Amino acid sequence: MPDFLSEPFMQRALLVALALGPICGFLGVFVTARRMAFFSDTISHAALTGVAAGFLAGFDEPTVPVLLYCSLVAVAMLWLKERTQLLNDTIMAVLLSTSVAGGVVLLSLQRNRWAELDKFLLGDILSVGWMDVGIAWMVALLVVGILLWRLTPLVLLTTHEDLAHVGGIHVRALNYGFVILLTVAVSLTIRVLGILLVTSLIVLPPAIARSMSRNLRQHIILSFFVGIIGAGGGVMLSYPLNLPTGPTVTLTLGILFVLSLLVRRLQQDPTRDKPSP
Amino acid sequence: MADSPASPSDPPAIEIRDARVRLGDTEVLRGVTMMVPRGRMVALIGPNGSGKTTLLRCLLGLQRLGSGEIRLLGEPVGPKVLARVGYVPQRLQLEPSFTLSVREFLSLRRPETRGWFWQSHRRTDAQLHGTLEELGVGSLLNRPLAGLSGGQLQRVLIAYSLLSEPELLLLDEPTAGVDTPGENSFYELISAVHARHRMTVVLVSHDLAMVFRQASWVYALNGVICCQGHPEEVLNADSLKAAYGIHVTPYHHHHQSDGSSEAGQPIRFRRR
Repeated sequence: MPDFLSEPFMQRALLVALALGPICGFLGVFVTARRMAFFSDTISHAALTGVAAGFLAGFDEPTVPVLLYCSLVAVAMLWLKERTQLLNDTIMAVLLSTSVAGGVVLLSLQRNRWAELDKFLLGDILSVGWMDVGIAWMVALLVVGILLWRLTPLVLLTTHEDLAHVGGIHVRALNYGFVILLTVAVSLTIRVLGILLVTSLIVLPPAIARSMSRNLRQHIILSFFVGIIGAGGGVMLSYPLNLPTGPTVTLTLGILFVLSLLVRRLQQDPTRDKPSP
Repeated sequence: MADSPASPSDPPAIEIRDARVRLGDTEVLRGVTMMVPRGRMVALIGPNGSGKTTLLRCLLGLQRLGSGEIRLLGEPVGPKVLARVGYVPQRLQLEPSFTLSVREFLSLRRPETRGWFWQSHRRTDAQLHGTLEELGVGSLLNRPLAGLSGGQLQRVLIAYSLLSEPELLLLDEPTAGVDTPGENSFYELISAVHARHRMTVVLVSHDLAMVFRQASWVYALNGVICCQGHPEEVLNADSLKAAYGIHVTPYHHHHQSDGSSEAGQPIRFRRR
């Protein structure tokens, strides 16, 4: 075992990364298939208002206010999509920009907290406590359990909402349920990667797994494990390389993504292994 | 499958009474009344904006009626009766990164294959065997759904619908985006499925040539049912003018027994 893993703060960071990486990979398969990457980006940016409101309300660790505010924004996005003629992108851009602006204004009212902004923008996984580890693992098990329990309806919903409806699925409830699961995962992962980079852990694992998958089952399983490798590997690499942890996780996944593209390119190259004339 | 012939005492497959739907300022359906007996292959035709899609959405419970009533197989539209209905949408618009294979998609329909994530392909294939053979989709099982051609996708969607053993099959513009050879083989497949399973088939389409060849009864919709009857009765200049609001005349070649024209081309309709 590497020396740095004897440090309790590294143990905690690794445990949190190993809990959240795979659930982001699992959720990410459906987020990308349902064209919801911008949705998760909106949720993560909305967290800034949650953080600032939490500080204002006297929370030292604003996980609960972040979760509540992000859930509110997620539900507002779905509600506006259902009840207005506005385009999805417009709704998300409005909520993202107003949440960021609201967060900055609220933080400006409490100058003593301003220095903590970096921690939320870029993540601060090395400061998590054992309580955070417990919450991350409970949420991870819950999210994976729910996803596996509702896998068939979710796949059908992703394929075609009307077919799902005719198949007896309560489309609206499932849509809201999926968005809440995604919101919970994103809100907690902000501690690992920060508001700016959290979407990378949702989008990159399925994109990497895609090139090695021939069907959805393989895609889900590979994306799950790429989430583990990316999040865990990034945390472990950041210590000996003395790099910021969140960006190292994202860069690890970025390198894996480039490698996956090269592998796919080699697989598709028609001249590969072709005997010379 | 639903292979027993419909009894005269069975309620109609579809019963619509004075259905009205308003979308924004437009009354899309203005009192539609129609009845589709069981076991027929019928077509619902009409120009763009005539309310075909809205009526189909009402039949599927996706759109509420402003007033009126719809009953499918004798029951009000709801999850219970929709379990006996098959639906083939026009297209799926799948993201290319969605890796769902044909095998996995078909597995979603039947209760015994809903454990597809955990079970072997061999077991899933054995459970789907009958339908795969009937519709000739066995060779497509490993293909991603998002990578199929229009004709292949329609065949897979029919297979998916038939897996639930429906008594009523609704098809929305089924050959949109399918080339002519694919279109012909698709309708041959539908005719075979209809004959074998004796289910009621409703084709929602603006393709008049298809209607002439395939349907035994035609409903022409333009906010209301303008006319209905056998294809040769409905597809005349006056009826089409009522439905389409323009003068359209059917342009017949001499028919072969299979419904194709003498020259082997589908029947065309020309506007005047």
